[in-house]
Amino acid sequence: MRRFLRMSYLVAGVGGLGFFAMSVLLLGVWPGRVLEQQIKGTSPDHPLPLTASEKRGRVIYGREGCAYCHTQQIRYLDRDVTRFGAATLAWETIFDYPHLWGTRRIGPDLSREGSVRSADWQFSHLYSPRAVVTDSVMPAFPWLFDGAPDRPRQEAQDVLAYLETLGRNRALAGPEGEARARKSCDCSDEEKRLAFGSPVLNASPSMPRRQGSYPKLSGSGDLVRGQLLYSRNCAGCHGIRGEGNGPGAAGLHPRPANLSEHEYTLDRLSSSLWNGDVGTAMPAWRDLPPQDLSAAAQVVRRFHVAQPEPSLPQDVLDLGSRVYAARCAQCHGEKGAGDGSAAGQFPMAPTNFQTQRPSLAASLRALRNGVEGTPMAPWTGELSEAELSAAAYYVRGFFRADVSQ
Amino acid sequence: MSNSAAPAASAPIETRLVYAHGLAALITLLISVAFGVTASIELLIPDLVAGHGSWLSWGRLRYDHTQGIMLGWLGNAFFAFLYHAVPLLTGRPVTSARLGQWIFGLWNFAVIAPGWVLVLAGFSQPLEWAEFPLVIDAFVVLALLLVAIQFLPPFFSRGLEDLYVSSWYIIGSLIFTLLAYPMGNFVPELVPGARGAAFSGLWIHDAVGLFVTPLAVAILYFVIPAATRKPIFSHFLSMLGFWLLFFLYPLNGTHHYIFSVIPMSAQIGAITASTLLGVDVIINVTNLLLSLRGSGFWRFSTNTRNGPSGLRACDIGLRFVGTSAVLYLIVSIQGSVQAQMSVNRSVHFSDWVIGHSHLAMLGFASFAAAGGLIHAWQRIPWARYDAALLGWSYWLLLSGLTIMVLDLSAAGLVEAHWWQSTAPWIESVRAVKPLWLIRTLTFVPIAAGFLALLCGLIIGPRGGGLKAIQDSIGLGPIKEIAPRLVSATSSTAERA
Repeated sequence: MRRFLRMSYLVAGVGGLGFFAMSVLLLGVWPGRVLEQQIKGTSPDHPLPLTASEKRGRVIYGREGCAYCHTQQIRYLDRDVTRFGAATLAWETIFDYPHLWGTRRIGPDLSREGSVRSADWQFSHLYSPRAVVTDSVMPAFPWLFDGAPDRPRQEAQDVLAYLETLGRNRALAGPEGEARARKSCDCSDEEKRLAFGSPVLNASPSMPRRQGSYPKLSGSGDLVRGQLLYSRNCAGCHGIRGEGNGPGAAGLHPRPANLSEHEYTLDRLSSSLWNGDVGTAMPAWRDLPPQDLSAAAQVVRRFHVAQPEPSLPQDVLDLGSRVYAARCAQCHGEKGAGDGSAAGQFPMAPTNFQTQRPSLAASLRALRNGVEGTPMAPWTGELSEAELSAAAYYVRGFFRADVSQ
Repeated sequence: MSNSAAPAASAPIETRLVYAHGLAALITLLISVAFGVTASIELLIPDLVAGHGSWLSWGRLRYDHTQGIMLGWLGNAFFAFLYHAVPLLTGRPVTSARLGQWIFGLWNFAVIAPGWVLVLAGFSQPLEWAEFPLVIDAFVVLALLLVAIQFLPPFFSRGLEDLYVSSWYIIGSLIFTLLAYPMGNFVPELVPGARGAAFSGLWIHDAVGLFVTPLAVAILYFVIPAATRKPIFSHFLSMLGFWLLFFLYPLNGTHHYIFSVIPMSAQIGAITASTLLGVDVIINVTNLLLSLRGSGFWRFSTNTRNGPSGLRACDIGLRFVGTSAVLYLIVSIQGSVQAQMSVNRSVHFSDWVIGHSHLAMLGFASFAAAGGLIHAWQRIPWARYDAALLGWSYWLLLSGLTIMVLDLSAAGLVEAHWWQSTAPWIESVRAVKPLWLIRTLTFVPIAAGFLALLCGLIIGPRGGGLKAIQDSIGLGPIKEIAPRLVSATSSTAERA
């Protein structure tokens, strides 16, 4: 009997260890093998590994606890796919030692963060999050910088390099890669729909795009709502009075637009709000409904104060026209619509003077000093003072105010 | 064999090691709470420390908070309890007092203190419940090995026949933690991405399920009969609960990654195990609560020696432990529910889960650990003890915990609501800020409660614990069961 009891405890002990071994096999090793198969079938042939800088950035991302507020895992759920983009495939994280999936989302998921924001925005955000996102609760990381958001140390540059890798390989896989993965993925129809059926790989509403439709805004938005939206979302960079001098402005190149010095058509504002401005820190705001955008546009347009316009003699206008045709039209277009033959070569679209009219002072300043952070160079060496003034005046004539106004 | 199990009271208890680990537990607890509350304040005032370097930034405090709670507070408290319980359960001394000093030094001065500092200095790994850097993990594994050497031989030399259920939990926990810890801390560094995450998921649950839960349940099963002087309701149910726990807990891991790319059958298996786990906990807690019948657990006065029905006032350690059992039931059923896909899709990633983890660690586990500490403390003849402060501690902790968990659950639902809408992400952050403020304010009762716990165990008269036993259950039964304690009482009485 005693011997039997001893045996039974031995059996129980082995059984207990068996429970643990079983859990590791069933939930660790076996899923790992299935995932390995899936990765083999769905991965592109040569996904880009991380560079040394990107790897260092990943380590910093880990040590600062980024993954404890930002997941890197778009779940197979409509609510995730709608907000962030196509559900995460297993092969997308094959370079992650260790994984950074996360189990808490205080901030948004970052699986597809690469290419959503401009570098200057990312640096400003890392240096002082609330400078660009007023209500953010993200910690600031000033120790990655030399005292200013536009003076990133190597560590900040590494973090940015790493952030830019997020979603990169999936984007590079392209339609062919997606089609191949879809075909060889051993997954249910529902999983296929969520992993491959999303209209866009990256659903971030902040991702700017150079072209694209935008909603028609109403000229009479709710001003109170607009002011609330403006102070929460815009004032950080554009300043509370729209003068382009908010706390976030310091690190941005080009600087945020001075809204009080420009007159905008509603379409121009809608395009910037809905599509963002590629090449600048201006993100898109596609997560705000059009009536909210109308309200915000109302506020923006009220910053502009109409100045009495000097009327210049015809010869000055002629001079302006000649200078413009010779020097400006190549980029800004013959009719000032920002569609010159060279426009497509630049990282950002040249100003469209038909939809946006700078004040004379702003116009002259741009010609004299150039616009930092853009291809617009100073013209003082090339043009005489008279030519500068004439051109500054001339470009303002392209503007076509909204008919309804 | 038969003679080895009998004279349970003759084995010496290393009371100095109980005391040392108990004190270390309470000190690391207060530091861990400080990490936690600072992190919670930083969610309200994010630039609180922005100008003061990197050491106190949110991410690093968050790592130190949970590692401190699991290893510092619960680890030390469990070790203190083991030094008290293992000799009583086995009738044999632990392996070596000298080894105990090594374990104490290793655990506190090679794991927790340097671990905290390294994390703050920027050396860590971004894995949940595994944030200490790898070099520290090596010391943890070494310490866990020494802990196994310290506490397991008494069980094996005594023989495994007729082991009380607490012994089973202790054996199981010490062995499985030794196996699970390296899996959670090392494997994800070697196996990338989704495949590593599968192992991570296992460890996230094993840390709670194989380290914290079995030792906490061992305390519940130990303290309830020891403090009430009555056998537990059913030994059969206790063993059923034990085996189900060790069968089901490890299979839960993947429920942290539902709707992920990890194969659906593994997810469904984990959800099924999570559901069954609720059943297991119902069995266990039913057994524990039935064991509490007639103990006066629900009568919260500490003053009346004789209640209206002739029952004495409830022992404070027992009150912590009984409450822990109830919280165990609540948190486990909550866990079973939130593992279901329909619930998980909404509340996952939200503060709801933070509420759940506080209910588990601050509620179930901490109440068990505090109850175990108090119980052991009462039986150290030279230890100081203040029953009134401990009574305060109980009520402060219970009220702080209740408000915090309700508040965080509400915050989770608010976040889930906003996430489901098309509103900008930041709206969900704006919406929960008032609830985060309430969460931070629960720091006041919780920290005060833990401070009262510490004070209750380091001020007050020496031998005050024995008087507390006398006030609750009376010394009569002790004479029959534990001659060691009676002699200690009489010697204290002589000194007084």
